[in-house]
Amino acid sequence: MAFEKKSFNEVLKQRELREQAERAQKAADDHIALDDSQRVKVLSPGRLVFKRFIRNRLAIVGTCILIFMFLFSFLGPLFYAYGQTERFYKHEYQQSDYAGAQLRTEFTNYACGDYVIDKEVARRVNSAIIAINSDEEAEATVINVASGNYLVAAAEDENIFVVTDCTQQDVASFVDTIEIGSFTTIEGKITYNDGVKDLGAAFYEAAAAALKGKTYAFTFGGKNYEIRNYNKVGGTIFEISDRAFTYVGASLSPEFETAVLEAVAAKQIAFVFENDAYLISEENGKYSISVSIPNEIVMVSTTYVLNAYEKGKQFSDSFKADALLSVASGDAFEENGVTYHAVTGEEKPEIVTEDGTPIAQLSNFVVRGADGKDSFDIAFKDAVEDAVMDMESRGEKSTVLTYDLLLKETQTDEKGNETVVVVRDENGNEVYQSTDINIRKLVNDYELTCPILSRLFDINSSPSADHLFGTDSDGYDVLARMMYGGRISLMVGFVVVILETLLGTIMGGIAGYFGGWVDNLIMRLVDIFYCIPSMPILIITGAFMDAEKLSPYVRLMWMMAILGFLGWAGVARLVRGQILSLREQEFMVAAEATGVRVRKRIFRHLVPNVMPQLIVTATAGLGGVIITESTLSFLGLGVKHPLATWGTMINSITQRNEDMIKYTYIWIPVGLLICLTVIAFNFVGDGLRDAFDPKMKK
Amino acid sequence: MLKFTIKRLLISVVILFFVMFIVYTLMFSLPTSYMEKTARELATKPGSLKSASEWLAELNAQYGMDKGLVGGFFTWLGSFAVGDFGESWQWTKDVTSVFNSTVWYSFALGLVCFIFEILIAIPLGVLAAKKQYSITDYSVTVFALIGISMPTFFVATVYKLLFAVKLQDWFGLSKPLFDISGMQSRDYVNLSDVGKFFDVAKHFVLPALTLVTVSIGSLMRYTRTNMLEVLNADYIRTARAKGLSEKKVINYHAFRNTLIPIVTILGGSLPGLFSGALITETLFGIRGIGYASYYSMVAGDIPFTMFYLSFIAILTLLGNLIADILYAVVDPRVRLN
Repeated sequence: MAFEKKSFNEVLKQRELREQAERAQKAADDHIALDDSQRVKVLSPGRLVFKRFIRNRLAIVGTCILIFMFLFSFLGPLFYAYGQTERFYKHEYQQSDYAGAQLRTEFTNYACGDYVIDKEVARRVNSAIIAINSDEEAEATVINVASGNYLVAAAEDENIFVVTDCTQQDVASFVDTIEIGSFTTIEGKITYNDGVKDLGAAFYEAAAAALKGKTYAFTFGGKNYEIRNYNKVGGTIFEISDRAFTYVGASLSPEFETAVLEAVAAKQIAFVFENDAYLISEENGKYSISVSIPNEIVMVSTTYVLNAYEKGKQFSDSFKADALLSVASGDAFEENGVTYHAVTGEEKPEIVTEDGTPIAQLSNFVVRGADGKDSFDIAFKDAVEDAVMDMESRGEKSTVLTYDLLLKETQTDEKGNETVVVVRDENGNEVYQSTDINIRKLVNDYELTCPILSRLFDINSSPSADHLFGTDSDGYDVLARMMYGGRISLMVGFVVVILETLLGTIMGGIAGYFGGWVDNLIMRLVDIFYCIPSMPILIITGAFMDAEKLSPYVRLMWMMAILGFLGWAGVARLVRGQILSLREQEFMVAAEATGVRVRKRIFRHLVPNVMPQLIVTATAGLGGVIITESTLSFLGLGVKHPLATWGTMINSITQRNEDMIKYTYIWIPVGLLICLTVIAFNFVGDGLRDAFDPKMKK
Repeated sequence: MLKFTIKRLLISVVILFFVMFIVYTLMFSLPTSYMEKTARELATKPGSLKSASEWLAELNAQYGMDKGLVGGFFTWLGSFAVGDFGESWQWTKDVTSVFNSTVWYSFALGLVCFIFEILIAIPLGVLAAKKQYSITDYSVTVFALIGISMPTFFVATVYKLLFAVKLQDWFGLSKPLFDISGMQSRDYVNLSDVGKFFDVAKHFVLPALTLVTVSIGSLMRYTRTNMLEVLNADYIRTARAKGLSEKKVINYHAFRNTLIPIVTILGGSLPGLFSGALITETLFGIRGIGYASYYSMVAGDIPFTMFYLSFIAILTLLGNLIADILYAVVDPRVRLN
């Protein structure tokens, strides 16, 4: 056996290992020992409570529900696309008025040049046009008004009349009858007019004989007389003259005289002869005939409207007048430095520029939008006219025109104002859609209706991928409102519970610590507050706030304040009871002996010991507050629109029984949210109580 | 005992005095404009016999609104003490006659619920305690908690939907099982007296069911807690050790002792039967005092509201008093004073 040389290090190492093994052995042996302090795992009181709490299955369920509710209400809105007062719209086709059409028969006057249309003139011109149109032969007439004489003449185009200012020039005159005088057979004589010489008794006899013989006409001294305005005993005597024409200038043909006499017989005051218009005026049986010399065209009267080829372009009245004159005369006209002329002979007259670009079309057929504005292009107007004419030719009262219409949408905003918006596709282009337009004949115009896209509030829509719980009667997303409603309900719950716990702890702490008359006073106050019926008071204040129309946020604050103020009594009683027993314990004597201040003694030494009970009551109380809040909101006296709360949401649906039956998918989930939250708070409260105070558990 | 009762009664009167003072302060601090407005609005209602100014004058006389807070309070207290509650603005009748015509419906509803509550909650609570941590216990606990956690209006609406609408659809009935709201059927006038009674009774089914659902839980929990406490007591262990049958232990020893707090709390809730169920009555259209007071409060009918608030305060105090006295009566170990 040889000695091996060992290093000291090696020896030490081995000893260490040996000792380690021994220690391990010893530890393993000791493990069985009952009095080993290592054997009991010591938990802090907090962890002990926690451990007991998580063993309680119901409490875990409650906690999970609460975590879900908090995530849902406070984080949900951050990730959810919609807000609580975001309105949703749906797009629907509604059969509505699209346009109106009319075949114009009424004439509109356009002033030419500087002329300002006189109402009287316009009225007379219109009646003159009616007169000319009703008489097939007539083509022109002269009207005589205070401001002068006007020649109204039909243009070649029957829809245009040109009104010209005229000056009169006397052409001829003739005497028709001269009033001699009147007589009565009772008086037996004739009373002669001024300037008529006495024709003697024989003349009277002749007149009386004519009256008696009921011929009322007689000849005396080679002249013919007539008795007019006669009665049985007398009358007025007129001398019938030979109607010899006296010409101012050159004599005119006998045809002219015939025409004059015809006009006089027809009691016309104006007539047209060989393209000249004449005016007849009469005074005391003397007719003067004057020729109208046209001066300037003052007005154009037409049934036409100008349809611009360029859509939506409006023409000035003077342009319209020039254009119409151009149609009537064929002359070109200039406007703003551009020369235009009319092209007639086509189906419809057109106004073109010099280089032949068509600018406008004249048409009797008017198509206007439902708002009365000229908003259609010519192609559409033509299509409507064709359809209407086609319908009329078939003698039908209604027809359908299929046309590619620009897709527009009527949007109503929250104030009820309607605006029409052009719908664009994803590339920003306008969309044309083939649309059936119903044309219906009314009395003297046509009504065009078609389905028009309208943007409506998407109210009461059923659950869909966009809105998981549908939308409510305001077009709000129900799910979004559930989230925001949860926020308010939970917030109200916490604020109120914190408020009443604070108040209650202070009051109860003071009462319990001081005892004596302070205790008595505060406890009687607690009794009083126990007696105050809180629900009726909340209803009264709610109704009052309704009447005062407070803002929803102010109401919310008030409601929380009142709820907190009415609810502190229970907490105060609990805190007082606990403190009464704690007060007598040694640690309080120690605190007093070491001279800790009163406030510190109460709130640092006593109140923390009441904390477990406070937490339990507060948790259970949260559920109660949430129920009270939702009940108030349900009654419409709590949190108000547009703020969402669960109570209000149920209230808005269940007010009418039909809605309640129909929209169960809104109010039942919301109600379940309330129930779940309150149940969860109660579960957690129960779990906490059991965890804090395991006495009840076997 | 008598001394205790008198003492408690006196304290109650003092508390009532202050509660009424607070209620009066609340009413007093309502702006005059609000009162004038509501008086005007209600005076224009059909059937109103007096003008708004007459009402306001009456209000002034009865509530002493012009005499300041304290003076006015005593004026009101004086008229209240002699039973002069004025005329309701909302119902245009004497407050007392409105009260008389409504309170009995509320009482009937309350009584029915009270009886059912006792019949269901106490046995279930005892059962749950007897088999603690069993399925039965958990289901009773959860059921009780659900009942407590459900808002009355939600339960009422669900019952309306279920019993007045859905059951008819599901079973293909020719007419709904129950009416959604109201107290009488359409053909009420044609019914015989017995028929009338049953007709009204039928309309009380859903409200009663609602009330029982929401209020049963707390009594059930209360019974269970107390029963558990009793079952943990030494005398129960003694009884079991003696070899008594479990039935005897539960029924004679445990249950009787559990009854002590239960009788107390039930006795205390007796006056509450008159207070009416505000929400349930309103939702089901039962013309009880809760219904009447709800519409009075919402409309701002001050005379009736003041009466109702005082009435509720009195009932609460009476309940506390009865509970205190019963506690001593039922449990001879309790020393009064």
